[in-house]
Amino acid sequence: MHLLYTILFPLLGAVWLGVRPGMSRKGAGTFALACSLLALALACGSHGAQWLLPWMPDAGMNLSFRVNGISWLFLVLTGLVVSFAIAASPRNERAGRGYYALILVMQSALFGVFTARHFIPWFLCWEMTLIPSYLLIRLWGGGGAPRAALRFFIMTLGGSAFLLVGFLALQLSAGTMDFSELAKLAANQQLTVALARTFVASGLSGHTLLTVVALAVFLGFAVKLPVVPFHAWLPAAYAEAPTPVTMLLTGLLSKMAVYGLLVIFLPVFPEVLPSLAPLLSWLAAATVLLGALAALAQTDLKRLLAYSSVNHLGYCALAIAAAASMQGDRNALAAALSGTVLQAFNHGIIASTLFFGIGIMEQRGGGLRGLNDFGGLRAQTPVFCGLFGLAVFASLGLPGLSGFVGEFLIFNGVFALTPGVAVLSVLGLLFTAVFLLRMMRKVFHGPFKPALAKWPDLSNGERLLFGLATALIVIPGLFPQALLRFANPGIVELLDLLRPIP
Amino acid sequence: MTPAWTLISAFAGALLVLLLPARAAGSARIIALVASIVGMAAAALSCLARLNTPDATPWSYDKPWVENLGIRFHLAADGISLTLLLLTGVVAVAGVLFSWNVEKRPRAFFAWFLTIIGGVYGVFLSRDAFLLFVCYEIVILPKYLLIAIWGSTNKEYGAMKLTMYSIAASALILIGLVAAYAAAGATSFDLLHLASTTYPPAMQAWAFPVLFLGFAILAGMWPFHTWAPTGHVAAPTAASMLLAGVVMKLGAFGALCVAMPLFPQGFELWRPLIAGLAVVGIVYGALTALTQRDLKFVIGYSSVSHMGFVLLGLAAANHWGLRGAVLQMISHGIIAGLLFGIAGRVVYERTHTRDLAELQKFDLWKSLPGAAIAFTLATAASMGLPGFSGFVAEISVIIGLWQSYPWLTIAVAFGIIITGAFSLRALHRAFFPARTANAAAAPPLPPLTWPEISAIGLLLAVSLAIGIYPKPWVVLIDDGLRSPLFQSILPLP
Amino acid sequence: MNYSALFLQLLPEAVLVLAALVMLGAAVATGKKPGRVFSSGVGVSIATFGILLAAAAMFFVPQDGATSTSLLENDPLARIFKAVVLGLGLLAVWLPPVRREIGNLGEYYALVLFALTGLLLAVGSNHLLFLFVALELASLSLYLLAGFPRTPRAAEASLKYFLFGGVSAAFMLFGISLLYGVSHSATLSGIAQVLEASQPSVLAMTGLAMLLVGLGFKLAAVPFHYWAPDVYQGAPATTVAIVSAASKAVGLVVLVRILQIGFPNVAGSAAWGEMTAGWSLWLAVLAAVSMIFGNLLALAQTSVRRLLAYSAVANTGYLLVALSANGPKAAASALFYVVVYGLATLGALAVTAAVERDRGDDRVSSFAGLIHRSPFQAVCLLVFLTSLAGIPPLAGFFGKFALFSNAMGESAAGGNPGLVWLVGLGVILSAVSLYYYLSVLKQAFVTSAPDELSEAHGLGPSHVLCVLLPAALLVILGLFPSLLLAPITRALMESLR
Repeated sequence: MHLLYTILFPLLGAVWLGVRPGMSRKGAGTFALACSLLALALACGSHGAQWLLPWMPDAGMNLSFRVNGISWLFLVLTGLVVSFAIAASPRNERAGRGYYALILVMQSALFGVFTARHFIPWFLCWEMTLIPSYLLIRLWGGGGAPRAALRFFIMTLGGSAFLLVGFLALQLSAGTMDFSELAKLAANQQLTVALARTFVASGLSGHTLLTVVALAVFLGFAVKLPVVPFHAWLPAAYAEAPTPVTMLLTGLLSKMAVYGLLVIFLPVFPEVLPSLAPLLSWLAAATVLLGALAALAQTDLKRLLAYSSVNHLGYCALAIAAAASMQGDRNALAAALSGTVLQAFNHGIIASTLFFGIGIMEQRGGGLRGLNDFGGLRAQTPVFCGLFGLAVFASLGLPGLSGFVGEFLIFNGVFALTPGVAVLSVLGLLFTAVFLLRMMRKVFHGPFKPALAKWPDLSNGERLLFGLATALIVIPGLFPQALLRFANPGIVELLDLLRPIP
Repeated sequence: MTPAWTLISAFAGALLVLLLPARAAGSARIIALVASIVGMAAAALSCLARLNTPDATPWSYDKPWVENLGIRFHLAADGISLTLLLLTGVVAVAGVLFSWNVEKRPRAFFAWFLTIIGGVYGVFLSRDAFLLFVCYEIVILPKYLLIAIWGSTNKEYGAMKLTMYSIAASALILIGLVAAYAAAGATSFDLLHLASTTYPPAMQAWAFPVLFLGFAILAGMWPFHTWAPTGHVAAPTAASMLLAGVVMKLGAFGALCVAMPLFPQGFELWRPLIAGLAVVGIVYGALTALTQRDLKFVIGYSSVSHMGFVLLGLAAANHWGLRGAVLQMISHGIIAGLLFGIAGRVVYERTHTRDLAELQKFDLWKSLPGAAIAFTLATAASMGLPGFSGFVAEISVIIGLWQSYPWLTIAVAFGIIITGAFSLRALHRAFFPARTANAAAAPPLPPLTWPEISAIGLLLAVSLAIGIYPKPWVVLIDDGLRSPLFQSILPLP
Repeated sequence: MNYSALFLQLLPEAVLVLAALVMLGAAVATGKKPGRVFSSGVGVSIATFGILLAAAAMFFVPQDGATSTSLLENDPLARIFKAVVLGLGLLAVWLPPVRREIGNLGEYYALVLFALTGLLLAVGSNHLLFLFVALELASLSLYLLAGFPRTPRAAEASLKYFLFGGVSAAFMLFGISLLYGVSHSATLSGIAQVLEASQPSVLAMTGLAMLLVGLGFKLAAVPFHYWAPDVYQGAPATTVAIVSAASKAVGLVVLVRILQIGFPNVAGSAAWGEMTAGWSLWLAVLAAVSMIFGNLLALAQTSVRRLLAYSAVANTGYLLVALSANGPKAAASALFYVVVYGLATLGALAVTAAVERDRGDDRVSSFAGLIHRSPFQAVCLLVFLTSLAGIPPLAGFFGKFALFSNAMGESAAGGNPGLVWLVGLGVILSAVSLYYYLSVLKQAFVTSAPDELSEAHGLGPSHVLCVLLPAALLVILGLFPSLLLAPITRALMESLR
């Protein structure tokens, strides 16, 4: 039940916000922050919790939730980023109770996504993130928000449709949508058999059918992550959303896809993964490279960071694709998977911090966020520059900061598993460094723009937030084992499912 | 409280309202509210009681009525009836709340309203074909009057069209029932007796389509659906809610509990055609909704599309399909009620337009945020997003369909996608118009009233309750499907 | 023959005749003195008194079967329908005293009583010739009653009624003579015996067909219906009430008796796929055309009285559907339905009469805003018209349902299609009929009347009763149809034994 309370807690907060007409905007913000922090505390204490309720009378259709190592890490990340985003929301006219309520709804949904063990509740929560994020972009976003929000909505909905169809096919053939059950069947190579039996009319082999299903499921995740040809919604959505919402989008929504690939996709489709692995690898590499190259071409800071996110999440995809090949030794596999988890967690923190920084600049500059609108800020706002710079360096993977650990482990594993792709992707690291440093140079160095002369440095509240975020960047960089220790049981569990098929 | 209280409360309420003196006409709505709440409570308590004692014999009341024809006054409530009763109760309460401000002839309005409710309860409870038919016909005239007197947009045409379709449908039903009665020995109209008779295949081949079509017309089966959008649009809000929410369900209920059990061989023969028409209805309804300018027409055609799922579930004729069909009946009842309530009452009463282009001027998100949020949620439910009742129902239908007609699932998926498209389009245009620079400031609109909020809350809560935790509903439906009535379609393992 | 026994048996009829004579006497007495007019109140009172007395006299008629003679049958069926005729007649008398232009009310009400006497006699007749005489007594009175107002319309109605009636009476008489020639008997049982013994001859069948033509006229079946619209429109309301309610009920009883007792073995069959010539098939054809023409022509009417006339034609069709099923249960439900139909039409006429008085004519549009002018009339009109359209919970619905169910039940056992073609046609056309009834109700309930016309005069007490009683009976019989259906079925079974 603890898990249920954890999941529902933010939702109850949202309902409370919804039915209290008298609450002031400021009060709403504080209330929402308190809610999300409490939810974070609840999430921290939920390691190993589980909860189950039969959803339909038929066997196997349950609302089942469980927290293992990996989910726990994602839960904590959710709590952190949501609290961060709420704290970072400007207390201005536009953001009211509805805004905070939607964010809290999203937190509940994310908690659900990261803990559900059956497709039905998982998908429910997965879709439940959609409407709040759509509305948040649509209603509190910039001038291009309606189009961006609609595109985001429709593309992710399309992806979800493929997910649904894929899992329906599994339900129809294997008779279950429980992830653990499916994994068990897959480990015994029953899924291909079941599919072949059900879809006998199509005349295709079980392997082909399962490949189709796996591709459909992958597509669902690929849109959300996003993997390169399916990323069309991302730049506009990230750019048009209000900055705190962008923090949520990049820090958490994309992590849903990473989590899904890791905990659902890999264990359920081991029968066809080796044959899919090359395709996935090349897509991942393309994501890494094109994300970085596209970022190079951006002049809008938010778009630039948006593509940078594509690039960074590409590493996760890369590691997952490498793990999908299921060849090579267990250590490399373990490294790749641990790397993915760490990268997801750290990218969540780093990217939200970066967007937080952009948000501060946007606020000061009255909406300015062009790369060329700024210059020489280092002297004007040294504290901001230092803290933001730290985050940028973490993002480009400077050793000692958290960004490094994940990428290091990922490449550690990927080189052992799929060396060719790995070599190509290293180029991505290079480009990442180039565009991030270019951004640093343009914004903080370079000729000083007189328009920025009146900019104050960080306020105390901002310092506190930025400081906390920096701590979350530095500490895991120095002590990555602290995070890995929590994630490890989950990773081992996953590794056991990924034994190469004889 | 036994399920009979649903029936009693509705008819007693109607009578009381009629007997009110003219100067107390204002309290008609209070009586109507109390009556419908009593009905809802009776239905809910009966559902709970059934869930607690699943092995007990279902409640029934059986008295001879007309010996000459072997007609009995036979009511019984199995799981399917109970869930549908609850649906009716919920929609009735919401309908009264949404009609809280009816000024024109309130006594007559609520009397006819409660008569419809009573008739619907009666159909769901009847286990005698005659009684079922009586209750089915009782609904017709009040429908006409509600639309013709209190309606809008082309009301007399809409009312007459709807009534003529309904009466034609009931003519077909009557032919089918009477044929079954004659062939079963002309001794009894008891549904179980009629269903346990084996009719010659030649007769089933013609009698089934007659009977089924009669019910399917009311369920809005394509191409006999045209009454639905016109009628729904012309009707006053509460009547639209009732029509789309529960009256269309009468047709589906009859198809499930009368037409199919009576003539299983005929059903087997015509099943592919029904499935095909249902799919066409789903896609056609959605496509047509995509092109409408009137918000209520969008919802009206979406009803056609959604009722296609019910028919599809029936045509699948397996456990998942039938279960999904009943779930979809309930789900659509709630959601259509909600959509019509918001579009017809909350928005139209304030803006006096339902034209999507006109509505843009009001910037409803700013001027009426509560309605915008509620409509967004209702749209999500209507699109079948998980967490809402529509998802549970549609997924059950699709699983059932898969087991019977796998290839049709592709067309259905297409229909679902268009459903998403038209729902978003309507939502976008009506509630979240793109901001234009030179738009005049939106006129201020009165905020939502408490009756409206409670009605919206009630319907949303039920839809969410089904979507998140469908098990009790499904247990009840499965209980109903185990009835001997369905032996010929769904043999027990 | 024991004349006192015969007189006892005819006690109700005798009472009616006496009442008619009293009425004439009173009229003559008042008419002689200048300045004193025979008021309608007196006429209605005397007629009411006479009818009630006749009804009371029915209790003094000996009920044992031994009193039946070759001429007269005094079985339960006759008793029930005598009561029905008296009841419907009473309601007809209570209708507002027709139109003001009727001069000699005394003669008018006396003729009403004579017509009722003829109808009473016809209900119990067992002999074709006697039946003919009884029917002619009723018809001749009705011809006159139709023409009483001395308006061109009424004259046309009366003349048409008379011409068609005369021709049909000739047919009937010729048919009777043929039947007598074949069977040497004019009693129903006698004819049945002869027909049973030998193959039915062409002559006998021709005779039967001619008899049916005569009765078809009484019932206003297509193609013998031409008089109906004009009579309904032109004749005084009381006359129309008797023609449509009492006279139709009697026509049906007579038809049932003749066919079921006299000609059970020349029925043939109208069942789908096994049609054989015989009265069943003939009636089926008559039923089909009556239903089709009646309903379709009713759609085009703008006068409510004409609309009711075509609805009468259509309803004859439904009744004939049941008869063509050739079974006692179907016949019983037809008899039930004819009573219910009579009540509904009578009530509708009563409301129409009220509207005519207030608005001057009976156009559909004159009903506009009735709900505001007089909710009582409007609600009762709703009851009558929805009962005619067959909407529950009113008796008309049950009547049609029973009629169609039993027609199927007695023709289509074991899954044969049976009469489904005819029943299906009937059911569908009955659905069509809702359209024209609704168009009247739409005016009454939906359309609002022009303001200056929106006051209604109160109805006289007898007029109120005439509206209220049928409405109440329709509701009660709709909820508890067994109250009437069960006795009729039992009585019919007994008569057919």
